[in-house]
Amino acid sequence: MTAALEMAAIEGGYEPGLPILRGASLSVAPGEIVALLGPNGAGKSTLVKAAAGLVPVWSGRVMLGGRDITGLAAHRMVHEGLGFVPQTENVFANLSVLENLQLASALVARKRRLDLGRMFELFPDLDRQRKLEAGRLSGGQRQMLAVARALVASPSVLMLDEPSAGLSPKLVGVVFERLKAVRDTGVTILLVEQNVKAALAIADRAVVLVEGRERLEGPAAELVNDPRMAALYLGAAA
Amino acid sequence: MLQLVADGLVVGSVIALGAVGLTLTYSILRFANFGQGEFMTWGAYFAVSTLAFVLAVTGGGVMEPLGPFSFGWQLIVAMLLAAALTAILALVVDWLLFRRLRRGNAITLVIASFGAALALRNLVQFLYGTLPEYYSREIQIAIRLVPRDVMGGLRVTPDQMLVIGLTLVLMLALQWLLTRTTLGRAMRATAMNPALARVAGVDVEGVIRATWVIGAALAAIAGVFVGITLQIRPMLGFDLLLPLFAAAILGGIGSVRGAVVGGYIVGLAESLSVPLVGAEYRAATAFAVLIGILLLRPNGLFGARA
Amino acid sequence: MEILPVLNYLAFFMVFAGIFAVMALGLNLQWGFTGLFNVGVAGFVAVGAYASAILTGPPEPERFGGFGLPILVGWLGAMLLSGVAAFVVAVAALRLREDYLAITTFGIAVVIQLVATNAQGLTGGPFGIQSIPRPFVEALGTGFVWNLAYLGLVALVLGLAWWALERLVASPWGRVLRAIREDELAAASLGKRAAAFRLQSFVIGCMLMGLAGALYAHFVGYIAPEDFLPILTFQIWAMLIVGGSGNNAGAVLGAFLVWAIWSVSGNLIREVLPAAEQARGAALQVVLIGVMIAAILVLRPRGILGERATVSRHAGKD
Repeated sequence: MTAALEMAAIEGGYEPGLPILRGASLSVAPGEIVALLGPNGAGKSTLVKAAAGLVPVWSGRVMLGGRDITGLAAHRMVHEGLGFVPQTENVFANLSVLENLQLASALVARKRRLDLGRMFELFPDLDRQRKLEAGRLSGGQRQMLAVARALVASPSVLMLDEPSAGLSPKLVGVVFERLKAVRDTGVTILLVEQNVKAALAIADRAVVLVEGRERLEGPAAELVNDPRMAALYLGAAA
Repeated sequence: MLQLVADGLVVGSVIALGAVGLTLTYSILRFANFGQGEFMTWGAYFAVSTLAFVLAVTGGGVMEPLGPFSFGWQLIVAMLLAAALTAILALVVDWLLFRRLRRGNAITLVIASFGAALALRNLVQFLYGTLPEYYSREIQIAIRLVPRDVMGGLRVTPDQMLVIGLTLVLMLALQWLLTRTTLGRAMRATAMNPALARVAGVDVEGVIRATWVIGAALAAIAGVFVGITLQIRPMLGFDLLLPLFAAAILGGIGSVRGAVVGGYIVGLAESLSVPLVGAEYRAATAFAVLIGILLLRPNGLFGARA
Repeated sequence: MEILPVLNYLAFFMVFAGIFAVMALGLNLQWGFTGLFNVGVAGFVAVGAYASAILTGPPEPERFGGFGLPILVGWLGAMLLSGVAAFVVAVAALRLREDYLAITTFGIAVVIQLVATNAQGLTGGPFGIQSIPRPFVEALGTGFVWNLAYLGLVALVLGLAWWALERLVASPWGRVLRAIREDELAAASLGKRAAAFRLQSFVIGCMLMGLAGALYAHFVGYIAPEDFLPILTFQIWAMLIVGGSGNNAGAVLGAFLVWAIWSVSGNLIREVLPAAEQARGAALQVVLIGVMIAAILVLRPRGILGERATVSRHAGKD
């Protein structure tokens, strides 16, 4: 079966000569939630940004549902069906909640567009705040809007960069529950997380990245108690 | 007194139109474009050429005034053509120069725009000479709206009223574009956060092109307005650059509403300062406004972000 | 062909190039070493020229000034007054985003131009100030020898400015300046002191421009508003960009090179074009220089000499 998203031997970085990704590979099957884990500075964020077209890929391949999308401009990725939610500043603070969603929806082809009404059903909190400037939303609501904004373009794969950052444990639970619901509508999810416990709780599988390469991967349930996990995190810290 | 207010509103309209373009390019391309004034000059001169062209094509070569105005319908057509040509000019300058410098330091773009402005200004001088030009030699009779014994009285020409009216219509249209259309929302989104805009599917280079087109077209129309109400000179836009910057910063960079309000405030301040400092120093008023706003409220009247 | 007119012209050319080099050094301190964008060079030069002319000139019934003070006092006054103008601008704009300084310096140059043109009681208005004293003219006359003597004076000032700037840039003060420019983190950690460093650099640069203005005034003996149009600012920028900013040798080299290009192309226009077309030709000359600046920015952004590698450019990049 074709992977929903596959990255093969990716090398890349912001500045020539200073590689951050050193041959990273990973594969996400359709309908999966995969957690991308690893110590600080391992290149997790850089890898999803490279896939999204925000960081130059020097070599390697990014395949989306069997199509080669390596090196496409970031805005083209959306039309191909790859959604990305950045970690910070992930909503347009000067636009209203409704405008955030209208913009995202209007930019993709009509057949890709998801009905905004259905989006508000999925995120009832946002429904009540339609007219509010997104910059005035609470942290949790902002994260919901960021996810909703990406979903409006009905991506086949959604990548999220640390959606739990800055949220209270209770809110993390709420956001992650919502991500499961999103997966249940048929969207494949790749989740970059610092919060290992919460991520493994909802993920089907996990990949651990260290120094720009994948070092460990397996079913989430098995990795929870895997001593090699702790070793990789500690090894990087030492 | 009333007369000064009316004059200020006419000048303010021109400044507002130019400042709106300036604030748009400033917030979306992220640099202070010293070439914005030259788009006004080029717009005004393009209209001289397109007017001659339209008159030649429609036969006769003379312009029959339209109603109470000093010009005929041919100038309206010429103005639209000039706006289109100025937009193309802006796109060419962007393609040749600014596009290649976008990845570098923002201040390099400012230097580049400074150089481009000087080249553009002198190219106009080279092509059209330094003598003032006019679209029409018709003498217009000013309409007395307020008798002389009430606050000094008020006389306005139909041309001046049209300039103020058209400016307001254009500004409402722009406001509609920015808030109600996908392009407008994409422009505001890009101004706020270019990286997120790309992730959300916005073609940022396309937004930049649209911004040049809108900013240059509005500047060209403002230049034609100067030509209608005063005269066309190679220094037309350069002399307005300081008021343009003062208006854009007064209103808060990125705020279209702010640039319009700022434009009228600067226009009125210039006009009302004439009895105090003399006509020769009216340009210094814009500088005083600029220094004042920088010291007191550097984010401008409508600017929220630090 | 007589040799003396050629030598005389050469001395003339060198004096102007040297004066421009002093301005370019001032701009290099601001832009090259501190990253401050000054679009008002012509304004600060004008302040210096007028200040020295007013302080040292003979009394005129219609005009303020004409104090007949020694020329050296005039030069010091020129530096002082340009420094004050720079201080006012810097206080308003330096703490804000960097292009606000560009806009503010542009504005003050416009206002200075207005004052020069209109404040007849101070500046002589459009006719400017005449009979500005020339140093040693009693002893040397106004011929070639005097030109040569003034060239020596300009060379001395340029040398002093160069020496002082090199010392300054190599000092701890200069290293802090570059750290501020290169690394926002360093600038942020210095906080208010970073602003003070920027202010000092800006004021010193403008004082050099004022001094250059005074050098110009006492060489030509006559100044008028049209000597200080925005084109002057543009020429100095062209010199710095062509030579390579962040490098004093580059600034001086650029001054001589661009002034040579400018003079030659100007002479060519005067020779080739009929009198009626001269104005248009001059406009085209400016267009070509503008295109040159743009081309260098795009193709060779570090100029001919470029910056000496004194600080690592990749320090502290996450």
